[in-house]
Amino acid sequence: MQNQFKSADGLVEVNLSKQGDSWLYEGQSCQILADGRLQVTTSDGSVHLARAAKVGDVWWVHLSGHTFKLERIEPGANASEEQGGLTAPMPGKVLEVMVEVGQQVSAGATLMILEAMKMEHKIVASEDGIITAINFNAGDQVEQGVTLLDLENDDE
Amino acid sequence: MANKLSKVLVANRGEIACRILRACNEAGIASVAIYASNDAKSLFVELADEAVQLSGDTIAQTYLDQQQILRIAAATGSDAIHPGFGFLSERADFAQAVGDAGIQWVGPSPAAITKMGDKMTARITMRNAGVPVIPGEEIEEIEEQAALIAIESASHRVGYPLLLKASSGGGGKGMRAVHDPSELISSAQGARREAIAAFGDGRVYIERLLTGSKHVEIQVLADRHGRTIHLGERECSVQRRHQKVFEEAPCATMTDQIRDAMGSAAVAAAQAVDYEGAGTVEFLLAPNGEFFFLEMNTRIQVEHPVTELVTGVDLVREQLRIAAGEPMSCGELMIRGHSIEVRLYAEDATNNFLPAIGKLAVFSPPEGPGVRLDSGVREGDEVTPNYDPMLAKLIVWAPSRPEALQRMRRALDEFVVLGTTTNIRFLRELCDQPEVINGTTDTTTIDRLWPNGWSSNVSQSIQSAALLVASCAEANGLQRRTSSNSNQVTSEGPVSPFTTLKRRFP
Repeated sequence: MQNQFKSADGLVEVNLSKQGDSWLYEGQSCQILADGRLQVTTSDGSVHLARAAKVGDVWWVHLSGHTFKLERIEPGANASEEQGGLTAPMPGKVLEVMVEVGQQVSAGATLMILEAMKMEHKIVASEDGIITAINFNAGDQVEQGVTLLDLENDDE
Repeated sequence: MANKLSKVLVANRGEIACRILRACNEAGIASVAIYASNDAKSLFVELADEAVQLSGDTIAQTYLDQQQILRIAAATGSDAIHPGFGFLSERADFAQAVGDAGIQWVGPSPAAITKMGDKMTARITMRNAGVPVIPGEEIEEIEEQAALIAIESASHRVGYPLLLKASSGGGGKGMRAVHDPSELISSAQGARREAIAAFGDGRVYIERLLTGSKHVEIQVLADRHGRTIHLGERECSVQRRHQKVFEEAPCATMTDQIRDAMGSAAVAAAQAVDYEGAGTVEFLLAPNGEFFFLEMNTRIQVEHPVTELVTGVDLVREQLRIAAGEPMSCGELMIRGHSIEVRLYAEDATNNFLPAIGKLAVFSPPEGPGVRLDSGVREGDEVTPNYDPMLAKLIVWAPSRPEALQRMRRALDEFVVLGTTTNIRFLRELCDQPEVINGTTDTTTIDRLWPNGWSSNVSQSIQSAALLVASCAEANGLQRRTSSNSNQVTSEGPVSPFTTLKRRFP
């Protein structure tokens, strides 16, 4: 059985196999307990009890004191590719736009200031490039996930 | 002149409303909660004897609407209002209006709030009372251009690095550290803008930024029977974005001598404004033992539980007692063992502590000896961007500091929250830092430890095990099982179903 997940580190393909009650992957095995927890034996032989819950397409996994957020990519769906768009991390209000269309910016430069939860947040350039679009003005309310600005890589 | 309280209206929400409502319940006092429509299903609404919905959508139209709250107090026959922290807790005009309406304010007089609430006035009051203040200058100009000119001019006398602080500020809002003159004007504009948005007052003053200092604060209590006492200190040095995340009592490097001196200064500060009720006097403690007045918070504080656990004093209960005109019930100060609190925030510690939202699909706090949870949420709740992202406070007590730290690590390992990003792992790894272990933290600890931002320390094997768990859960349709069984699972019995076992085989 094959699953594809998007984690903080990018896309990962997981090929599961099954042996009796156990599911296997990269030398580790996993069993489902009657109460819905999952018992994992890692490759070094340590045993952990994990908890998993799905919200939307995302599997949240708590394991060994760590919490993971793994977005499952439905088979056949286009894996969403990294685009140059800079999106709003939270619903909020645009306070200030620091750049203009056509402007050359370097990675880390502040492009926009957003206010959310009564605090100011900087939207910074993820890489060197040129601003190709600015989709909001100061004072605009924005929803979470909307593309605030487009940044095109220099090299293209 | 005792005027026993019969019904208390709690003018707050979330975790602190729960804390106060529970105290009322324990004291046999009837309670009233007020809530905005988006809080209708929140935990604190359930804990009150009566709950009244506020009309209006914004915070200004709901939790900050003084007239509406006073109308509800009158309609419900409440004879006292407890403001909690934040919101209207440090608004002298509200305290005045409450008193004028013949309702008891659980807190100090409007005059004391005014003197301490305006940070610039407080600096002057404290200086006059002989309490040491941080070198700096007040900026009285209100108009933006004039203020910027005055700030620029004062910056040369105060010196860098410096701190811009909103005169009406609190909670890190309207505060900016400036390390270089080139950043001064934009930082001052940002601080003013944030201060105007949060407090409706853009006045900002300048203090020398004292790096390497500890943030240490003294809890005070004062009643109408002539007693003003201090309950020892809390250390709250570990902060991110000027907001505290890790607090403890006592301070690891405190000596009896400094505690006595700081405690006396705090009592003098309280007496200088004829203080009544619970309050906190904050100081910066320099490595050489010198300390400076920062500000006084004229309300109950977020981190009050660590003082409660080491002194055995129920601070909220004492607030109610003092407001009823009774003498406080606590005796001589006794500090026993060690207590640590961490603030559980819905935020992404890997992304500059940006607030996070989502559904608390699983919210399973730790249990066992010495563990206290002051929570404003429960499993199934939705974390929204409408309010502060602090979800709960996890507090531990143990006989010694090393044991308290061990207990906190254990408790954080047991704490499972799924569906919303939280800072649990950040807090857990914080407990392993040598500075935290040695008690040598200062207000720059987080910035120094993770200058380029924090990221979790997780092994490849655990990462791939997580992928296995997610795949396995997906393959077995566990999402359907967890949702339909959620009630049954959480009420299974004394063993928490979500605890993580760490067993190792040879």
